Amino acid sequence: MNIIEIENLSHYFADGTCGLENINLTIEEGTFVVIAGQNGSGKTTLLKHLNGLLLPTTGTVRLAGVPVSENLVKARQMVGMVFQDPDSQIVGETVCDDVAFGPENLCLDRSEVKRRVYRTLKVVGLLDFEDQKPHLLSGGEKRRLAIAGILAMEPKVLVFDEPFSSLDYPGVKQVLKQIISLHRSGHTILAAAHDLEKVIAHADRLVIMKDGKVVKDETPSQLLGELEAFGIREPCASRLGMEVQSWLN
Amino acid sequence: MIATKQLRMTVYASLLAALTAAGAYLAIPIGPVPIVLQSLFIFLSGLLLGSRWGVASVGVYLLAGALGLPVFAGGVGGIGRFAGPTGGYLLGFLPAVYVIGLITEKTRKRVVFDVFAMVCGSIIIYSCGVSWLKILTGMTLAKTMVVGMYPFILGDVLKIAAAVPIAKALRPVINP
Amino acid sequence: MAELSAFNFRPGSSVLHGLDVRFKLIFLVLISFTSLKAYTVALSVLTLVLVAALMHSGLSLKSILKTFRYVSVLLAFIFIARALSTPGSVVAEFKAISITREGIYYGAMICWRLVIVILTGLSFVLTTRPSEIKAAVEWTLNPFPFIPAKRIATMMSLMVRFLPVIIDQAKETADAQRARGIENRKNPVYRLGKLGIPLMRRTFERADKLAVAMEARCYSENRTDPVLSSGIMDWIALCGVVCLCLVIISA
Ligand SMILES: Nc1ncnc2c1ncn2[C@@H]1O[C@H](COP(=O)(O)OP(=O)(O)OP(=O)(O)O)[C@@H](O)[C@H]1O
Ligand SMILES: [Mg+2]
Repeated sequence: MNIIEIENLSHYFADGTCGLENINLTIEEGTFVVIAGQNGSGKTTLLKHLNGLLLPTTGTVRLAGVPVSENLVKARQMVGMVFQDPDSQIVGETVCDDVAFGPENLCLDRSEVKRRVYRTLKVVGLLDFEDQKPHLLSGGEKRRLAIAGILAMEPKVLVFDEPFSSLDYPGVKQVLKQIISLHRSGHTILAAAHDLEKVIAHADRLVIMKDGKVVKDETPSQLLGELEAFGIREPCASRLGMEVQSWLN
Repeated sequence: MIATKQLRMTVYASLLAALTAAGAYLAIPIGPVPIVLQSLFIFLSGLLLGSRWGVASVGVYLLAGALGLPVFAGGVGGIGRFAGPTGGYLLGFLPAVYVIGLITEKTRKRVVFDVFAMVCGSIIIYSCGVSWLKILTGMTLAKTMVVGMYPFILGDVLKIAAAVPIAKALRPVINP
Repeated sequence: MAELSAFNFRPGSSVLHGLDVRFKLIFLVLISFTSLKAYTVALSVLTLVLVAALMHSGLSLKSILKTFRYVSVLLAFIFIARALSTPGSVVAEFKAISITREGIYYGAMICWRLVIVILTGLSFVLTTRPSEIKAAVEWTLNPFPFIPAKRIATMMSLMVRFLPVIIDQAKETADAQRARGIENRKNPVYRLGKLGIPLMRRTFERADKLAVAMEARCYSENRTDPVLSSGIMDWIALCGVVCLCLVIISA
């Protein structure tokens, strides 16, 4: 089933700049899609359309057949978005409070909120940090907390905007492991990145954007050789003619 | 504009409240009395957020402090702070920010009016602060002003002078 | 952030930890107001009760005294000002300055009362989770029309959450400017502006991102209510505190 269908999507910002131009994209449930492109190519703009943070100037975005603009709350619950800078999206004073924020917004029962908080903290492995202040977490832990905050709303699709920016090697591994296990458990994953090295070994599909347009959309192995033309660095292994290895090995 | 206006203002007011609280920890060491940034941010809350959201920002800060959330600098928080010698100044922030916000809303955001607004705000802060200090210590008004007002006036003049260009630089950021 | 966490909530299982926040808030108000009417005997009783309560909830006498390091300067100031400015029978005299017996007495009383208020606040803060405080605020403000209780609670937690972040950011900005020799600029207005503008700009940028992230998580003011529950202990404690206050006031 196609969980995301984007049809003739264009977006112009208030000041007239063109953010996206005539995008057509369908994504099947359970796939792991990487969206690559250089700075300013429109990745974030595209992702923000998936949960109605931005609305199309023309065209439509449908989630499981329903246009996003029809029910914004539903769309936001279905598509969880983890932003680039975890420090600006963690809301709660403690780890626990932060994860509870989303479910509370959905007016769930207190007991259900608690259940979800514990379950998601377990999934991301932060149960021991329950009462910790987010400010004191490491980079990788913060990113996992941001993921937990989204997971608690039980989304089907997870969108990661630059999931590895400013993370050290252990941090990258933590987050990558998390993303892969979420993919295994049946979530549809979209990740925006300009450095493919870390994710590409796990992706099913690679979408390349340039100047607000989708210019390539194939399986990663088909595209690896052509990346540099779009301002994206080709992974080392692939340059040397080897197969790209997962970062986890 | 992405987020709704109301949510954006709520977040602005909350983060400015945090900035005001942080201002108590920040000082620029000039002269005998270091210039503490707190009242600078009170002025700017009024100038940038206007009366309604300015009061919300400062009110939330004071309420959180009164209830003992860790937002006051230098040790003991809670209502003890309001009963202590600096309590009057803290309470004075609230009407001050309201008046500053009101004056900037009613006028056309010109430098003269900004300065006028902040002078009014300072007067309010000092009248609250000094009267409470006078009640607490039982000193004469003149003496209370010597300890509770004169040493800080120079700092306030400097802060008002600095707030004008800051407000000018940031107004476009808030109302794009 | 050592300076911020010093007077925070400390987990524990004392009686005070177990009491309902709303009751603790009532106690806070009752005791603070009663202390205004209290004199030596009553103040001693209150001090003993509070110190005992604090020690029972896990604070050592030493750390209680340490709390007063900063306040003691202010208390000393009030005391001296009172001692010097109250007319009455003179104890000691030095040129134009004279210390009076009444001054010393009133000064001591005022300072002692402030100590009581501070101790009460301290025992509240140390034994109450920030989330409970927020819940109590929401609960108290909820019945009032025109007061957006949920929004106020949200604003409070955002503020507490971002205070350490902003302090760190400010220090970083100040350090970066020091590294580039801003200390050579003597003009304080210039320096205030150079610190204030980037600090506020970054704060607003952060706020924009935060607002979007909150929207992505379906922020609404119609959200799950906090849970607060009171038990028999709360009512017993309430009786105790009310009796104590009545005795003190009528004495
Ligand atoms: N609110 C806005 N108003 C006007 N132009 C905007 C706005 N937001 C983004 N843009 C422009 O739209 C283009 C696409 O931005 P976008 O943030 O989607 O890029 P990106 O691919 O996510 O880049 P990065 O890798 O830097 O995150 C950029 O040229 C940017 O300047
Ligand atoms: Mg981006």
